[in-house]
Amino acid sequence: MLTVSGAFVRTFEPNNKPSLLLEWGSKRLNKKPGICFVTSSSKRVSNQIIWVKAVADVASKNEKKTKKGTLTRDERLVRAAFIVPAVVYLMFMSIFPFVYSVYLSFFQAKLTRLHKKFYIGFDNYKQLFSDEVFLAAMKNTFVLTTASIILEVILAFACAKVFLALREQRAGFFLRSMSILPMMITPLCVALIFSYILNPTLGIFNYILSGFGVEPISWFGNPNLALWSIIAINVWQWTPFMMLLMLAGLVSIPTSLYEAASLEKARWWHVARWIELPAIKDVILIGLILRVIDNLKLFDLVYITTRGGPGDSTELLTFFTYRQDFAFFNVGYGSAAAVIILIISIIVTTIAVSFLRRMQNA
Amino acid sequence: MPKTNLIGAYIAAILVMLIFTLPIIWMFMGAFKTPVDIYSIPPIWWPDFSYLENFKTLLAENWSFLLNSVIITLGATVLCMIFALPCAFGLVNFQFKGNNFLADWILSTRMMPPIAAAVPLFMIFNGMGMLDTHFALIIVYAGFNLPFAVWVAMSFFRNLPKEIIEAARIEGCTWFQTFWQVALPLTKSGIATVSTFVFIFAWNELLLALFLTSNEAKTFPVVISTFSTITRTYWEFVSAATVIQVLPPIIFTLIMQRHIVSGLTMGAVKNG
Repeated sequence: MLTVSGAFVRTFEPNNKPSLLLEWGSKRLNKKPGICFVTSSSKRVSNQIIWVKAVADVASKNEKKTKKGTLTRDERLVRAAFIVPAVVYLMFMSIFPFVYSVYLSFFQAKLTRLHKKFYIGFDNYKQLFSDEVFLAAMKNTFVLTTASIILEVILAFACAKVFLALREQRAGFFLRSMSILPMMITPLCVALIFSYILNPTLGIFNYILSGFGVEPISWFGNPNLALWSIIAINVWQWTPFMMLLMLAGLVSIPTSLYEAASLEKARWWHVARWIELPAIKDVILIGLILRVIDNLKLFDLVYITTRGGPGDSTELLTFFTYRQDFAFFNVGYGSAAAVIILIISIIVTTIAVSFLRRMQNA
Repeated sequence: MPKTNLIGAYIAAILVMLIFTLPIIWMFMGAFKTPVDIYSIPPIWWPDFSYLENFKTLLAENWSFLLNSVIITLGATVLCMIFALPCAFGLVNFQFKGNNFLADWILSTRMMPPIAAAVPLFMIFNGMGMLDTHFALIIVYAGFNLPFAVWVAMSFFRNLPKEIIEAARIEGCTWFQTFWQVALPLTKSGIATVSTFVFIFAWNELLLALFLTSNEAKTFPVVISTFSTITRTYWEFVSAATVIQVLPPIIFTLIMQRHIVSGLTMGAVKNG
C-alpha cells in the first residue's frame, strides 16, 4: 500500500508544459510507487501546478546517498545496464561485420568452401579497380545519386510551393496527404509498379505514347535509357519526402516577408533566392545527406527492373556486391567491394552526423 | 490570396497528386484483372472489382510467408524497442564522459549499408545453424533499426521536463522505476510513433531477407520478387501481392503524416 513519506510543493512556470503534467496527473493519481501530480482548483495558482509528491516507503529505501560527482559502484552498474546492452548489440551489428569484411577482403574465398581460403593481400582491391564492371558501378552510382538529388530538389521545391499556397485549405491538406504516399511504400513494390507500367509490350505508358504516334520504347532494355528510367522512378518515390522537408522550412517564413516583397515588386526568383532559400537551406542539406546515404544503399529497384543490365549500364555498387557474394559466391572479392562502399558511406556519414547533431541541438 | 491564384494552385496540386498516385492506383487495378485481361491491349481501364481470384490463389499458396513477415516485423519491433528505449533514456539522463560521442556513434551505424553486413551476418547465422529462421531476421532487423529508434527516442526523452526525473530521483525512485513508471508513461505517443516506423522499415526490407532466408522463414517481399522472373512475370499475382504488401505503409503514411518528417530526419526537422 501507498504510504506517503513526504510531500512538498513546487510551482511550474506556464511555459514548462503544464498541460502535459495536468493530463497525466489526473490519470496517474493514487498509483504507487512513484510520483503523483495533482492540479489545483485554487485561483491563486491558476496558471501553475501544485506538484505533490507521494512516494512509497519501499521507494525511499532504495535511495542511495551519494556525494556529488562520484557514483557508487551500484549506481554505475545500474547506469551501465541501461546503455550497454544496446551498445553491445550495435557493435555486433556494425563493428563486427566491418572487421570481418575487411578481413575477408584479403582472401580469395568462396562462400561454398570457406575453410579453404587463400591470403592474397591487396589483390582483391587491385582487381576491383581494374574491373570494368566495378568502375561502371561506381560511375552509375555517382550519376544516379547526383541526378536523382538534383531533380528531387527542383521538383520538390515546385511541389512545396504549390502546397504552401493551399496550406489553409482542407482540400489542400487532402491532396498533400495523397501526394506523399510513394515515400513509405515498399521499394520492391515501387520497382514492380513501374516495371508493370513501363513494360515495352503491355505497359500502359507505351500505350499512351502510341496515341501520340510514338513507337514502343524499351525503357529498361535500352542501355542509354535504363539508368535514367531508374533515376526517374527513384525521383518519383523520393520527391514527396523532399517536398515535406521543404514545406516544413517554408511554413516558418512569416507572411509579412512575402507582403514586403510584393510591395517592393520583387520578382519570384528574388523571393526564392532571398527569402525562401535561406529559410529552407538547412532542411535541404539534411535531405541531401540522407538521400545520398539512401542512394548508396539502393538495391531493390535494380534487382527487380534491370539486374544491372543491359550490359553494365545500370550496375550499382550494392548490386555488384550482391552479385559477387551470392551469384558467384566470390565473398572475398565481394567483401572488398563492400569495404569500398563502407568507406564511402563513412565519409558521408561523418558529415551527416555532425550536421544532424547541430540541428538537433539548435 | 487572390482567387485566380488559388484556382491555379488547386489545378497544380491535383496534377501533382495524380502523378504520385496514379501509378499506385494502376497497380491496384491490375490486382482485379484476370490473367488474360491484364495483358490486353488496349488496356482495360476499369476492372471488375468483384474478381478476387488473384488474391485467393495468392494467399492460398503464400499465406505462411505473409505470416512470416508479420511475425518477423512484430518481433523485430518489440526487440528493437526493448534495447532502444533504456539506452535513449540513459543517454539523455546520465551525465558521463563521451555521452555525445556515443550518441553520434549510434547514429552513424544507422547509415551503414546493409549489403556490407550481409556476408558476415550470413556466416554467423550459418555457423549457429540459424539461417532461414525467424529469429535470425528478427535479430537483424531489430539491430538495423536500433540506431534510428535510439536517436528518435532520445529526442522525446529530452523533451520531458528535467524536474520530473529529478523529483523522482530525490524521492528515492530507482533509475529503473523512474524509467518505467515516470518516463515511459509520459512518452507513450512518441514510443508509438517510433515503433510504427521500425515496423514499416522492417516490413519493407528485401536485401537481407534474400541473404538470410531460403524457404522456411521467407518474408513476403522475397516471395513477391520471385513472381518476376527472367522468363515470365506473373503480373496478376505481382499486383495482388503488391496491394497486400503496400497496404500497411499506406495506412501508416495517412495516419502518421504529422510525424513523418521528424521521424525520417531523426528529429532534426520539426514538421510544418
